[in-house]
Amino acid sequence: MASDSRTKEMLKELHDAVLAFDEDRTTELCHTVLREGIDAYRAVAEGLSQGMNSASDRYEKMEYFVPELLLCSDALYAGLDILKPAVLASGKRTGTKGSIVIGVVEGDIHDIGKNLVKTMFEAAGWTVYDLGKDVKLERFVEEQARTNSEIVAISALMTTSMLAMPKAINMLREKGSKARVLVGGAPLNADVARKFGADGYAPSAATAVEEATKLIEALKKQRQQG
Amino acid sequence: MALSNDRMESLERVKALLNGQPVDRVPVFPFALGFCAKNVGYPIASMYDNPERSFEAQLWTQEMYGWDYPPFYGYASYGSWEFGGPIEFPSSELQQAPTIPYFPVQSEKDVDNLKLPDVTKAGMLPFAMQFCKLQQEHGLPIVLVVGGTFTMAGNICGVEKLCRWMLRRPEVADHLIGMARDHILDVVRHWAETFGGRNVAVQIWEPSAANQIISPAQFEKFVLPYQRSLHESILSMGIRYILCHICGEQNLNLPYWAQIPMGNPGIVSFGHEVGLDAAIKHFGGKCIVAGDIEPRVIQEGTPQQVYELTRQCLQKAKHSPLGYILMPACELPPMAPPYNVYSMMKAVNDFGGYA
Repeated sequence: MASDSRTKEMLKELHDAVLAFDEDRTTELCHTVLREGIDAYRAVAEGLSQGMNSASDRYEKMEYFVPELLLCSDALYAGLDILKPAVLASGKRTGTKGSIVIGVVEGDIHDIGKNLVKTMFEAAGWTVYDLGKDVKLERFVEEQARTNSEIVAISALMTTSMLAMPKAINMLREKGSKARVLVGGAPLNADVARKFGADGYAPSAATAVEEATKLIEALKKQRQQG
Repeated sequence: MALSNDRMESLERVKALLNGQPVDRVPVFPFALGFCAKNVGYPIASMYDNPERSFEAQLWTQEMYGWDYPPFYGYASYGSWEFGGPIEFPSSELQQAPTIPYFPVQSEKDVDNLKLPDVTKAGMLPFAMQFCKLQQEHGLPIVLVVGGTFTMAGNICGVEKLCRWMLRRPEVADHLIGMARDHILDVVRHWAETFGGRNVAVQIWEPSAANQIISPAQFEKFVLPYQRSLHESILSMGIRYILCHICGEQNLNLPYWAQIPMGNPGIVSFGHEVGLDAAIKHFGGKCIVAGDIEPRVIQEGTPQQVYELTRQCLQKAKHSPLGYILMPACELPPMAPPYNVYSMMKAVNDFGGYA
């Protein structure tokens, strides 16, 4: 077992390596975590994921842009690939914050934003079910029912394809889904999201987790009351 | 159909503006493709895979609304098909334009093996040539639409891969963006040889270099040099002006765009994210400014909102030093309510006139 101070030092180094989008260093550090018996769950939650959260903050402040975020994401996933088996073996769960079904609507293949949002949710400890791009609307309904996810996140980049959003939301409601629907994409704003019947709107990848967290808290409160 | 206050014909108005002469009112470039198809009852795909239908749908819709800019052929995902990849034309109501199912370049080795396409045969270029011959037959300006260098490179390898290469393998990104530029130049040269450089107007659409994707520093390194040399070479072929659609959030890139020649006069159009005040500040002294009615409002807003937004744009920009063209901030949404589009033109009639 590593000492507290050594663990803290490694967590910071993991954070910094992801933030510096240094995939090689992240990989090396993750092997060190395993070798030195450092808690792999903490290494993921407080090291790798926090690094991605800091990257998201920099994106929000326009200090990082998509290229940097993509490389941070590569470093994150390289680290997760190494540490996840140890986390699973330890019996600690990583997906404890909530679960989300995510995809780009039918008729639309623009998935850069969706992929970044997915990374942010994974870094924040959510379980993500990624349907990909050009997703048939019924797939959102089926996947939400299969996984009982609290959030369905739908993305579109075109003014035509965004018209699929109210259809998908209606389909979810008609099936009795209580999941909260979060929408995002360049042609939307909060007013249009409301008009489409969405519960939430995320103007950027950096704000999606925060918005979903608010939605899930409201959902939990509603469940407790009802 | 002319607007009730019009004193000039559409083409006369556009030519006068480009020649620095007075015009009766602000000209309108509707940036409309799929909308025209819907308007005349054609599938949206026909705007891209059927030059004759595309041309007549635009011509008829232009006549119906009193638009000024002539029909044009093009789409933003240009580049994949021409470099040996696939393209899919819209096949459902939800699809706005052609899309790229997968990219012809998947690896660095693919970049090494990439060859410049034969511009007489590759991808959509025969459609574009057929379309421009229709423009010529009708006595209209020859409008050639191409992508910006960065957007085209992204259409060849995927924007995510291009972004990764910019940071990890900048020499690969440079090579690919350079090839995109060289291809665009080959196309423009072919058009100039076919129609005469003076008769060709080039439109360049650059959405992928937006600050929603890349930083201004990355723009300076990976866009500015290629885009500047592209424009310089185009203008050296005798082409008089370029209409450059600077799409999306590009505020941080404006000082760099302002270093790129657009012609005499060039036309620069902007997304609503930039705003007409900033556009005029950076370009008003050397270019005609165009923009920037937000497509979301045209599609989802009320007629009153569209009318008011158009009025505000006209008020801000109609006295831009070299002139102003009213234009949506990006493609006119194919599913826009026709009355909203009429409301835009009504505002032009009411507020777009010059004494």
